[in-house]
Parts: sequence; structure tokens; C-alpha cells
Amino acid sequence: MAGDGSAGPGPGPGPGLVRLDLGSLRGASRAPVHLLPCVVEHDGSAAVDRYFTPAIRPQGGRSEKAVSFRGRSLQGQEVPVPQGYVGLVLKEDAQPCLEEEEERTVRVKSVFTELTAWNLEQAPSGDDGILMAMSWPKISEGLHAPVPEEEP
Amino acid sequence: EQTLQGQNADKFLCAGDAALYLFNSGAQQLFEVKAFHEEYHSWFIGQAVQHDGRLLFATPVDPLFLVLLYLLKAEKEQGKFQALDQVVVDSEFSACKILLQCARVVQSIHHVTEEKEIGSKVYYKYSHDKTLMWLKKKVNQTVKVLKSNDVCVGGRVQSATFISSKQSTTVTEEDYIRYAHGLISEYIPEELSAELSKYLHLGLVRASNFITLPLQKRKLSEAPLEADEDYSKFNSSDMKNKKTNRKMSAAQKALAKVDKSGMKNISSFFTSKAKATK
Repeated sequence: MAGDGSAGPGPGPGPGLVRLDLGSLRGASRAPVHLLPCVVEHDGSAAVDRYFTPAIRPQGGRSEKAVSFRGRSLQGQEVPVPQGYVGLVLKEDAQPCLEEEEERTVRVKSVFTELTAWNLEQAPSGDDGILMAMSWPKISEGLHAPVPEEEP
Repeated sequence: EQTLQGQNADKFLCAGDAALYLFNSGAQQLFEVKAFHEEYHSWFIGQAVQHDGRLLFATPVDPLFLVLLYLLKAEKEQGKFQALDQVVVDSEFSACKILLQCARVVQSIHHVTEEKEIGSKVYYKYSHDKTLMWLKKKVNQTVKVLKSNDVCVGGRVQSATFISSKQSTTVTEEDYIRYAHGLISEYIPEELSAELSKYLHLGLVRASNFITLPLQKRKLSEAPLEADEDYSKFNSSDMKNKKTNRKMSAAQKALAKVDKSGMKNISSFFTSKAKATK
């Protein structure tokens, strides 16, 4: 993994290019991620460890959990990220006033290897979109792997 | 702030409205970025809340699909043997040259072109027959993956039994091929998709299926083609792409046709692909 933050060879940054600074991966912490079954109209800090995490109880299944969130009972499922992948939380550098040609940079803020998907009534199962989506990398391999070369 | 799953890669490439791609350093590999997005979701990330409930997937993409679009354009406009760096040109999008740095392009370009060597230089021209053969191989290897991953390729993709019942016995080889063809069609122009369908001997969609399967019928009527693709939202607000030039070159338009968002909702891959072969 290079990610030294320097521009690669070839064409310089053009319009629409965004650099992901992989150097920032080294210092990135692990942060638990929860996919909530509701919209929260807010971006910013939240006392997750104070109110949400302590309320999580294990359920029957090994990776199943339950929690109460604002008076609602949520059913959750731990979902590992697909094999060979890593979960990244990215944040773009503050950009006061970007010129057209200026390259933008996003940095790794935290990493995750699993996420907890929450539903309102039933714990997420195979037909939940999030679990189906996790098979996308495998399916996409079929589409994008090189085709076998013919025998000479 | 975005949640993203990806392999080693360090460069995003946003082609205007058309698509979002990711190159690793040195551009040896190209990734596409797709969003998983369901309505009414937000994240808790550590001790923070994130309104945007999308999850982005960065997966390797065959750069030949993109080069193919430029080859098709060159075939239409010039129709002659040309050096690759003359083919992959885009006045609106000079970064397309990065494609030529992908080692895989050089290794695999012969699958879709005729080649002529003059002196020490090689010149290329789009080959329709070879391209169809190449696409057929793509379909075949996709069918294999679909089978080995128990992906439901029949009409009732979103039934509650996605995992437990696996495939119903009525799923045929043709269903797999049709589904794979639908997936491949996301990466090629419509015209080529139609010809590939013929080449694969895919008949017209068995219309009776859509009328008799209530589930299918409901889905078709309730969910217009692109209802669950939220590219507008993505491109305009989140990627702050507003400044990028909206004018697209022919190849970019082709790209746009292939995958308008570049970040299409992944769940659309799990809906019936019959629409693609109408």
C-alpha cells in the first residue's frame, strides 16, 4: 500500500479528482458503526456510549442483538465486512473555497471490520438489502475478473 | 464523512456526473464505487451520528469495459487502426489517460480489437466479433459466480426466503445467463447489450412470467426502472460536484448510459434483470 500522499505518475490532478490519503490509515482508530433503521437529522457528536451501547443485549443467535432506542425496540445483527475488504470512515479536509482545478483530499477517520445493522421489528436476515449488498464484491468479481486467455 | 469499504486504493476519479472511480497509486488497478442506500437510515460512528446512511463499496473493475467505450467511439468516428493513446482521448476529461496505465488494459486489449504492428508500434481497431466473444466469456464466468454464491436469479429475488430456500427448482440455465447479461449490460452501451443478447440466444423475456407472477407484477408496476437509484442526490450534494463541467463528451455520455450514477444503489443489482432484455 503506497498512499504516501504524493501524486502518482502520469496526468496531474484534473477537475473532479479526489485523493484518498492512505497515510491516514496508520493512525486511524477503530470505531464501532451502527446502521440505524431511521433518519437522524443531525451530523455531529452523539453520546452513543452513554445511552445506546449500554442498552445493547445479546439475543438468541450468536450475532443477534437487541436494543431500545428512543422507546423503540430494535433488532440487530452483526455483519462482518466482506472478506478481503476493510471498512473505512472517510472525512474530507476542510475546503474553504476550492478552485476548479484544485485536488480535494479525504482522509481515513476510523476503520471497522464489522457493522451492526438494526431493524425495527425483525433482526436483519438474508433478504435485507444490507446483507445482500455484502455479496456484491463476490458477484462483481465474476464481472470484472480477466477472462481466461485462449490456449496458443 | 463517508463510510466506505474498499481494497487498497488511494485515488478517486469523479467523471462529472457519469461515474465515480477509484485508482490505486500508480493506477495499476481501477475500482468502481457503488453506494448501498436504503431510505431512512443513518449511522452511529463511534461517538457521533451521521445523517447520511449510505455505505459505499469500492470493488475492482475491468478497465477494458471503459476502454471499450472509447474504442466504440473511435470506430464510429474514424473507423481505422489507431494507437491506443489516440483512441482514449477525451477533451472534456483528460484524466481518462490514466486508463492506459492500467497494466490489464495492455494485457487484455486483444480481446476486443484487431491489432496491426507497424515498426515498433501497435495499432488497434475495434472488433465486433471478438468483443462479443469476450463478453460471452464474461457472462459465463459471472454465471459461475452467481451459482456458487446462491444468488437468486429468478423473478422472486426479494422474497423473504433469499437465503433459506435458495433457488426454486424452476430456475433454468437461461435465467442465470439472462441475469448475468443484465449485470454486464450495466457496463456496455445499449446497442451492444442488445447484440450480446442475440449472440447468447436469449429469447425475448417470457412475457407470461410477468403476468402470472403476482410478486413480479407488483414490483414492475410499483418500482419504475430507476426508482431506487439516487444519483441525483449523490452527485449534486454529497460529492460536492456542482462545479464540475456538466457537458459530457461522447464517451462520457456512453459511460453515463452505462451507469448514470456510478454509484447506483447496490440493491438494484438484486432486482430482476428482465428489464435489461426487453
